[in-house]
Amino acid sequence: MGAAGDHDGRVRAKLALLGAAGLASGAGAAWLAANRSFVPYQTATVPFCLLVGWSFIGCGLIAWRQQPRNRLGPVMIFMGFAWFATFLTDARAPLLFTGGTAVQSLYLAGLAYLVLSFPSGRLSGRLERGLFWSAIAVTTVVQFAAMLVADSGPVLCSGCPANLLEVGRNDGLAGWLLQAERIAGAVLAVAALVLLVSRWQRASAAQRRAVAPVLWAGWATLIALAVSVANDIAAQPFGQIPKRVLFAAVATLPVAVVAVLLQRRLARGAVAGLVVELGGEATADLREALARALGDPSVELAYWFGGGQRYVDGDGRPVQLPGLAANRATTMVESGGRPVAALIHDPALRENPELVNSVCAAAGLRLENERLQAELRARLAELQDSRARMAASAEAERRRIERDLHDGTQQRLVSISMSLGLLESKLPADPEAAAPIARTARHALGAALDELRELSQGILPGILAERGLPAALEELCGRAALPARLEVAIDRRLPAQVETAAYFLVSEALTNAAKHAQASQARVAARCADGLLTVKVADDGVGGAAPGSGSGLRGMADRVEALGGKFILCSPDGQGTAVRAELPCA
Amino acid sequence: MRVVVADDAVILREGLALLLQAAGFEVAGLAADAEELYPLVEQCRPDVVVVDIRMPPTHTDEGLRAARTIRLRWPGTGVLVLSQYVRPAYALELLSEGAGGVGYLLKERVSDLRELTSGIERIAAGGSVLDPKVVEQLVGRPRHGADRLGRLTGRERGVLALMAEGRSNKAIAERLFVTEHTIEKHVKNILAALSLPPSPDDHRRVLAVVTFLNSQ
Repeated sequence: MGAAGDHDGRVRAKLALLGAAGLASGAGAAWLAANRSFVPYQTATVPFCLLVGWSFIGCGLIAWRQQPRNRLGPVMIFMGFAWFATFLTDARAPLLFTGGTAVQSLYLAGLAYLVLSFPSGRLSGRLERGLFWSAIAVTTVVQFAAMLVADSGPVLCSGCPANLLEVGRNDGLAGWLLQAERIAGAVLAVAALVLLVSRWQRASAAQRRAVAPVLWAGWATLIALAVSVANDIAAQPFGQIPKRVLFAAVATLPVAVVAVLLQRRLARGAVAGLVVELGGEATADLREALARALGDPSVELAYWFGGGQRYVDGDGRPVQLPGLAANRATTMVESGGRPVAALIHDPALRENPELVNSVCAAAGLRLENERLQAELRARLAELQDSRARMAASAEAERRRIERDLHDGTQQRLVSISMSLGLLESKLPADPEAAAPIARTARHALGAALDELRELSQGILPGILAERGLPAALEELCGRAALPARLEVAIDRRLPAQVETAAYFLVSEALTNAAKHAQASQARVAARCADGLLTVKVADDGVGGAAPGSGSGLRGMADRVEALGGKFILCSPDGQGTAVRAELPCA
Repeated sequence: MRVVVADDAVILREGLALLLQAAGFEVAGLAADAEELYPLVEQCRPDVVVVDIRMPPTHTDEGLRAARTIRLRWPGTGVLVLSQYVRPAYALELLSEGAGGVGYLLKERVSDLRELTSGIERIAAGGSVLDPKVVEQLVGRPRHGADRLGRLTGRERGVLALMAEGRSNKAIAERLFVTEHTIEKHVKNILAALSLPPSPDDHRRVLAVVTFLNSQ
C-alpha cells in the first residue's frame, strides 16, 4: 500500500510539474504572440495560441492520469509544448528565433501520431508507422536542411532575426526545400486521411462509436491542414483564413479525446451499476447485464465445462470460440488459474481492457454460479445422450439376437422337423431312403446346437458367472482371432455388472483389433487394486480409431461411464490402439 | 395338384419341396423372394403357393403382401403363408383379404405330412386354414368385461377352436370321434351364444369366428 501510495504521489508530482510548465510556456508563447514586431511566421493570435496549447497539455495530463500505459497522454502533452515552441519564431533573440523555426512543424508530426494511433496509442500497421516516420522526417530533416541555406530576410520572413543555422546562402535551394516540405506535408495529410477513411469503413459499429469524436476531429484537422498547405503553396489566395480554420480544427482534437475518455468513464460507471444489478436480484439475466455494462449488445457468454474440456452455453450446448482471425474478440475469465468463462464480444472492446476486466471482476461470482449451472446442464445432456445411445444399442442387440435366432437356430430346427416328417413318410415303404434323411437331420441338429451355444455365449458367457472374470478373460483370449497375451491380477469376485462390462470391453477390443486394426497381436491386462478395476487392451494395429467409427468404442465408453468409470482411448495413426477402462469395484 | 414354394432360405425351400413331393404334390417351381414368385405363378399357374412370411428385401411381412397380390391377380390360386411366429394379427389380415383360399401355418407344422396335405387341399378348395397355435392364442387370451366365451362348455370351446382352424363339420366330427350331426348341434349353440350368423360358407364361418375372437 505504501509503495503504491509513493508511486501515486510521484505520478501526481510529475503531472503537476508538467502542468506548471505548460502554464508557463503558454504564458510565454502568448506574450510572444502579443508582442510580434515583424511579419509573423506563426500567425496564430493569442486566444488560438492558448486554446490549442493548453487544451493539448491539459487533455494530455488527464489522459496520462487515466491510462498511464497509453502513449496518447504524453503525445498530447508533447504536442502542447511543441505548439507553444512554434511561437518562438516571434522572438527577437536570434537564438530563440532559430530554435523556434527549426521545430516549428514538429507539432504536426505529433498530430499525425495522435490521429494514426488513436485509441490504442500504438501505431499498429506498417502503413501507419511509415506515415508517422515520414512526417517526422519532413518536419525535422527537410526543415533543418532548408535552414542551412535559408537567409532570414528573403526566404524565412522579412524583418525577423538572423538564422543562426545558415551556413551558406542559397535562396533558390532554400525556397525549393521549403516548398517541398509543404507539398510532402500535404501528401502525407491526404494519405493519412485515406487511411482513416478505409479504417472507418472496416470498423464495426461499436468501434466507430468508441472513437467517433476523435475521428471526426482528426478528419477535420487533416482536411484543414491540406487546404492550408495548398493555400500556402498557391501564395495564399485566401490569406490567413485557412490557417485559422486549421487552428480551430486542431483545437477540437484534444477536446474530442477528452470526450472519448469521458465516455469511457461513463462506461466504467456502468460497472458499478452492474454490481448493484447483479447483487440485487439473482434472476437478472447475466448476459443482458454484461451487454449493458459493456455497451455491446452482441456480447455472448460461454462457460467452461471441465468434464468435457470445452466451452458450453448457458443450456450446456457446446460453443465454438471464435478464432484469432475472426471478427469477434474473446476475453477469458479465470478464477484461481481455472477457466470460468469466455466473453465473446465486439473487437472494439479490446481498446478498453480496463472496462472489460472490471466488468468481468464485478460479475465474477455470478459467472462462477452460471458456470456451475451450465456444467450441470452439459453433464445432464451428456448423460441423456449416453442413456439414449445405450437404449439404442440394447435395442440393436435385441434385434441382432432375434435375427440370429430366426435365421439360424429356428430355421435349422424347422428343417430338422421337415426331415423327421419326411423320414416318417419314408420309413414304412422305403427304409433305404431313411438313413441319409436321418443323417441330414443329425447334422442340422449339431449345427443348431453350435449356433445356440454361440448365441447364449454372446448374450452372457456362462463362465463369467461361474468362474469370474480371470477365467472368462482367459477363455476369451484363448479363442480370440489373434494371439492375445493376458495378465490378470484380480484376487476376488467383483460385482457382476463390473465383470460383465470388463469382459465385453475386452471382447469388443479384441474383435476390433482383429477386424478393423489389422493387428498381429494384442495385450490384455486386468488388475484390481484400491477398489478400482483397471482393464487395458493394446494392439499393434493401424491405430486411428475414433468413437463413432462403427467400432463400438462409443458403446464401450457409455457402458464404462454408466458404472461411474473412466474410459480412455489412445489410438494414434500407425501406432496401434490402446483402450483403458477404470471401473470402481469396491 | 401343382404347388409353388417361395422361401429365401435354401435349406427350407429344398426341404419343403422334398416333403411336398413325398406328400404327392407336384412342385412346379421354387422362388427365393416375391419378385421371383410372381412370374413363376404366371407361368406355372399353381393351385396353391406356399410362401414364407419373411423374405427379402425387408424381412418383415413380404409373404403376407405377396399373398394379397396373388389373390388379387390370380384369384383361383390359393396361398399358404408360413411363419415362425404366432401372430394372430397377421393371420386375421390374411383371412379378411378375400373369399378364402388362404392359410397361415407355423413352419414346424409342415413336418406333419398329413396335416400339411390336408391344409393345402383345403386351401386349394377355397377354404381357410389357421394354425392351432394362433387359434389357441386367440381363444386363450385374457378378456375384459362380459366374456361371452364363458357361456360355452368345454366341449363347445374345443369345437370353436377347430372351427377357427378352418375345419369343416365333417372334419371336426372325425377328429372328435362323434357324428357330424352332434357337431352341427354344437355349432348352432356356439353361434347362438356368440350371436354370430350361421353361414354355409366355410371361409365366412372362419372369418366370423376369428374376428369375434380377436375383437373380444
